Amino acid sequence: MVAVDRKHQIIDLETGQLDRRIFVDPDIYAEEQEKVFGRAWLMIGHESLVPNTNDFFHTYMGEEPVILCRDGRGNLRAYLNMCRHRGNRIVRTDVGNSRNFACAYHGWTFSNEGALEYVPGDEEAYYGALDRDCLGLVEARVDTYAGIVFATWDHGAPSLDDYLGDARWLLDVSFNRLDNGTEAIGPIKWIEPLNWKTAVDNCSDNYHVPTTHLSTIIVQGRHRGIPRLTHEQQFQSENKHLFVNGHSLTMRFLERADQVRQTHGVTPENLAAFEEYYRATLPEAERRLGSLRTRLNLGNHSLFPNGVLGLRLAHPRGPLETEFWHFVVLEKDMPDELKTALRRGSANYNGVNGIFEQDDMDNWRGVTESGLTRMGRKYTQDLSMGVGHDRRHPDYPGVVAGRYTSESNQRLFYRRWEQFMNADNWEDIPLEPKAMDYEGTATLRG
Amino acid sequence: MELWHELMEFYIREAWLLDERRFREWLDLFTEDVFYFMPRRLNVHRHETDRELTPVGDLAIFEDDKTYLTMRVERLETGMAWGEDPPSRTRHIVGNLVVDPQPDGEVQAKTAFLLYRSHHETEENLFSGYREDLLRPVDGSWQIARRTIVLDSNVILAKNLSVFF
Repeated sequence: MVAVDRKHQIIDLETGQLDRRIFVDPDIYAEEQEKVFGRAWLMIGHESLVPNTNDFFHTYMGEEPVILCRDGRGNLRAYLNMCRHRGNRIVRTDVGNSRNFACAYHGWTFSNEGALEYVPGDEEAYYGALDRDCLGLVEARVDTYAGIVFATWDHGAPSLDDYLGDARWLLDVSFNRLDNGTEAIGPIKWIEPLNWKTAVDNCSDNYHVPTTHLSTIIVQGRHRGIPRLTHEQQFQSENKHLFVNGHSLTMRFLERADQVRQTHGVTPENLAAFEEYYRATLPEAERRLGSLRTRLNLGNHSLFPNGVLGLRLAHPRGPLETEFWHFVVLEKDMPDELKTALRRGSANYNGVNGIFEQDDMDNWRGVTESGLTRMGRKYTQDLSMGVGHDRRHPDYPGVVAGRYTSESNQRLFYRRWEQFMNADNWEDIPLEPKAMDYEGTATLRG
Repeated sequence: MELWHELMEFYIREAWLLDERRFREWLDLFTEDVFYFMPRRLNVHRHETDRELTPVGDLAIFEDDKTYLTMRVERLETGMAWGEDPPSRTRHIVGNLVVDPQPDGEVQAKTAFLLYRSHHETEENLFSGYREDLLRPVDGSWQIARRTIVLDSNVILAKNLSVFF
């Protein structure tokens, strides 16, 4: 291993001071595309989006347009959406079903197994000299976690299992609870005028909720019977704020194992039906996750680098722009009535029109743009909350903050970003080995 | 033609209620059982345009009942709905009305719209689309029992949809 020259030093973990240039600098942004988005395992979709052979779903890995498809043999594949001739996009739709992809420019045609199958004038115009075997589609490595599809361009990257590490110990309580797994619907897509990192670091920011979202907290209490969330409750909460192998997690303790996990979409009218569902599925969940994890709930979280609460993605579109994708992931076994409630609740609270999320945008934009001016850049961003109170915990993975309200995960997210940006290759990027006891039968694959 | 004029006036009045931020009065235009719906609009090939609009049951952009709509309006009244405080400056231009009276006295009405929104200092959005309403006669007036809003967009070029359509 070569000693790494720490070129990017943006976060001081002792003081929590963060350099604002990382949100606006075009050179840093360009380097991120290579060193973060070119290396990490990125969420790109869900198996349920391509249920049949030859189905495809158009997605992105950072800025790169990507075709996620299920080939004729049922294997998941991910290709750069680029004709190897001149570079045109060979897929121009969001979804479809096709055994091959024909470029609309000159007709080069690729199979959904990646091979260049047909070139007009192969013999005549090219004199048989074109090496078609070297001109297949550019393919990414693909793997799945409980139905969620991940891909990476880096063939030196660790396995997805190691990449998630012990984050999976907690992610399982939300995404891997039942034998029949989950399905994803969506996405809603929109453009946010902000740097992608501001949306990601907010995923562990419990501090903002009682201020940013107060209007919705008030009307939610009035119409949905949900108790008003206050700063005091959050400061005194025993819930955990923890950082595991690059991933930012928050964890809530359930008072009862059959307690309803969600808030968005739950109403006084459907509460009893949700409780009945969680009661009925409890034995199966305990068999899969064991008794300890069955009593935990996953709160807000982010998978490094650009996950925003589960399978929701912040695709970078330049330093000052992000294309946001909102999917909803539902347990397949859930009764339709409850799926409908969660689907509506998810979009109405956190979609482009979400009465929670619409209030986040201007804040994140303000944070991003503070790096644009000379005076703004002179003063570091302050992420000092809880410095010195992080610790390891015997029962939970990763770095556990002293309180549920902390900026520990945000500091460590930017440290993780530094580790990617300063590494020559994956050998330089530290990975925490898995150390948790995965009680129950649930595996990476479901 | 009389019905057409009556409904055109209805839609013009609605546009002014929205642009003058009289959201409580706007809310009264909807029935208690209203379904306020905006599907997603997929980018698909011409031979697959039956898939272009996502059906009810798929993830939608808006899928509100009267309670959700009411929460949206009441939120603004708290003075702390930061996405709309300070509020957007909007202009709803509504036209191309087509009316289709139903045998039960209800009316299907389709309108095209342009919605201009200006926010904070320099931010601008222009939303184009159409609405299909089911209008129900109630106490000598009309109420909207169902509204489907279709944007002429795939990726929405706005930070949020905190304005009404």
